[in-house]
Amino acid sequence: MIKPLILSIVFGALWFGQHGALQAQPRKGGTLQYAYASGPGTLDPHVASSLVELEVIHHMFESLVAMDANYNTKPMIASKVDISGDGRTFTFTLRRGIKFHNGKELTSADVLASFERYKKVSPNASALADVDTMQAPKPDTFVMNLSKANSVFLDVLKGPVYPFSIVPAEQKDKPARGIEVIGSGPFMLGDWVKDSHLVIKRFDNYVANESASGPDGLAGKRTAYLDAVRYRFVPEANSRVAAIQSGDADVAGDIPPDLSKRFDGRAELSLLKVFPFCMQVYVLNTQQGVTKNPLIRQAISAVVNVDEIASAMGRVSARNHSLVYSAGPNYQGDLMKAFYDQKNPNKAKELLKQAGYKGEPIVLQSNSNNSHHRDSILVLSELMKAAGMNVSVDIVDWTTNASNMQRGTGTWNVSTTGFCSNPLLGPQAWKSVLYTFTQLKSEPVMDAAYEKFFATSDPKGRKDAWGLIEKQMLEQAYMIKIVDVGVLRAVNTKKVEGFGGYYLPVFWNVSLK
Amino acid sequence: MKYLFILCIRFAQAVPVLLLVAVFAFLLMHMLPGDPAVVIAGSDATPESVDVIRRQLGLDRPLYEQLFHWVSQLLQGNFGHSMGLNQSVLSVVFARLPVTLSLALIAFLITLPAGIILGSLAAFYRGTRIDTFVMGVALLGVSVPSFWIAIVCVIIFSVTLGWVPSSGYSPLSDGFGRWFLSLIMPAIVLALFQIGYLARMTRSSMLDVLSQDYIRTARAKGVSEWSTVSKHAFRNALMTVVTASGIILSLLIGGSVVIEQVFALPGVGRMVVQGIMARDYPLVQGTMLLFGFAFVMVNFIVDMLYTLVDPRVRYD
Repeated sequence: MIKPLILSIVFGALWFGQHGALQAQPRKGGTLQYAYASGPGTLDPHVASSLVELEVIHHMFESLVAMDANYNTKPMIASKVDISGDGRTFTFTLRRGIKFHNGKELTSADVLASFERYKKVSPNASALADVDTMQAPKPDTFVMNLSKANSVFLDVLKGPVYPFSIVPAEQKDKPARGIEVIGSGPFMLGDWVKDSHLVIKRFDNYVANESASGPDGLAGKRTAYLDAVRYRFVPEANSRVAAIQSGDADVAGDIPPDLSKRFDGRAELSLLKVFPFCMQVYVLNTQQGVTKNPLIRQAISAVVNVDEIASAMGRVSARNHSLVYSAGPNYQGDLMKAFYDQKNPNKAKELLKQAGYKGEPIVLQSNSNNSHHRDSILVLSELMKAAGMNVSVDIVDWTTNASNMQRGTGTWNVSTTGFCSNPLLGPQAWKSVLYTFTQLKSEPVMDAAYEKFFATSDPKGRKDAWGLIEKQMLEQAYMIKIVDVGVLRAVNTKKVEGFGGYYLPVFWNVSLK
Repeated sequence: MKYLFILCIRFAQAVPVLLLVAVFAFLLMHMLPGDPAVVIAGSDATPESVDVIRRQLGLDRPLYEQLFHWVSQLLQGNFGHSMGLNQSVLSVVFARLPVTLSLALIAFLITLPAGIILGSLAAFYRGTRIDTFVMGVALLGVSVPSFWIAIVCVIIFSVTLGWVPSSGYSPLSDGFGRWFLSLIMPAIVLALFQIGYLARMTRSSMLDVLSQDYIRTARAKGVSEWSTVSKHAFRNALMTVVTASGIILSLLIGGSVVIEQVFALPGVGRMVVQGIMARDYPLVQGTMLLFGFAFVMVNFIVDMLYTLVDPRVRYD
């Protein structure tokens, strides 16, 4: 039995309204200059995970479904998705007439080839582990059969990280990072000089999603007004600020709050505060020394003083006790508050006593590349020392720090990092990092809850399952939530119209005055 | 013919030096903690995916095997393939070399006259206010961090006055004017440190020479002060200046990382730093080797200049 699921376009309309669609028709033409900290390493969507790669890629490639302005799933290349009653067969009906940048028409053969390539080359290929078979029975029909029901499969497919972008079938056997940059998005690749700049040009034969009334996050009806966008890679924040002050750039990304005063007296330069952006957490190594002991981990959690840490971090931040955002469907209200911002050294001392802690060293590792990571670790070290813990701080570079967290190498007990897409997308996107970073091999409570989360089609059941997972994460102090972190972007409003505060900066429906 | 012969000898001597550089570069890079496969896979990748990338890159093989593979590829003229940029190391270095060389050349052309004139002035007016002022400026040049000077210059000359672009590089193909404007401010900032160094070296060398008997004799003979200093003293002080200039040129080519970073210039220095951060072993190793070769060549040129400056120097 086939149960049709027509994906809503309501949010698209809302977002469209917010972005000034009722104003005069934007001017077409011009090149927008965008100063950003660094450039992409690859434009192969199937292996791309860093924000600098994704923000370019989503202008050039499209997927079957995409994330809307509220991080929900919306159709993109697919016009409709039918899900079988057993939740195992997904039939995608494709929009007709979509063209790739090379002029070729997109069909289900391209979709099939793209997913086959994804399974071969993507670090996220495990997301398709449950896909049993895939067929392209008709040029506008693509079918995926899963070996077991997965109620959030469409949410998985909308993921903006390692996007499930559709590329021409001829690219199927291209190795990872070896793809030709040919997508079906509103912009196509122009000039790309790595370390210097990248230009995307308007794709005049772009076929927009006319079923939507306007742009909607990464979904909806996207219109390219600009002739081109020039991404200039300016790693030094002072230079990015100077670029927009001097008129060399129209938009500048990642402005440190301590430089925001340089915009004083320049009314045309507007600072956009983008929230939500990332979540900052402490990660505890469950396989290393004393932090194998849950009581020690809970003692560390007990000393955390969020305001002191956030103040030292010097970033745009907001308190939030949860691992998801309050607007999302899986937010648990105040249930996780008990594990947040405890600032209770006496409780920590008691827990240490119960754990039989005898002053064994606890290594806090951070990195010199991200000052807010380092500063949050330095404050935590002082809070832990005050509670009687023997702490040593190890500052390394980001690559070492990240490798140690992801591979469990090194001798660290506690570290910190920010997660950006995962909390936006929800439990399914959290899964791999919750286990990988904390070095958890298996966790019976979480394993069972995740099993239930993926199997149940009832939203309440999924929310309850996530509640168990989140509680276990925070109660057992596998991770300790610090704050939600935002980011500042600067826009020259005298020159630019329509640039919004979405978590990935997007340049469709943006124009120059 | 003689220079060609010496050049061949120098090339032959450079081979063991470069081999040592190759081995050291390899070992130093591999001693760094951190996994390039993690960087390539991204933060959301599973450990299994990271392992697959490690196998694809050959990082799961024993270290000696990886070293042997790299050196054997080098002997065939293959400098390797950048893991991060997904291009051959030679092509990425040569694509960025014009930026670094242009920057170094302009900075060198600023450093040389400025350093020599200031150093000579300080020596000639030794103990006077001019000497104190010049040496004070030189001390400032070598002491103030170049990133701070760079940012101050950007605020003054780009933001406030709007004379030059705040950052970025325009290739010569965009026109000489744009190319020059994109490099002049970074070059001046880069030159400031070296001007201080060269002025101090020139002053010290000139002071040595100016106290020699033949200078006193020249003055006693009634030779004009200009001739005494420019023909007799300066020429003899030049050996030190040439040596210092060789070192400065090497430093300008290899030491422009901070300037490239602040001014967003896509040069070799910035690329190497990014390569180190990403643990892009082939890229960093290959570039270090090419830099090693460049330094050998600069030393060779300096040695040849000695014979021009001082006829007593011979390489027989």
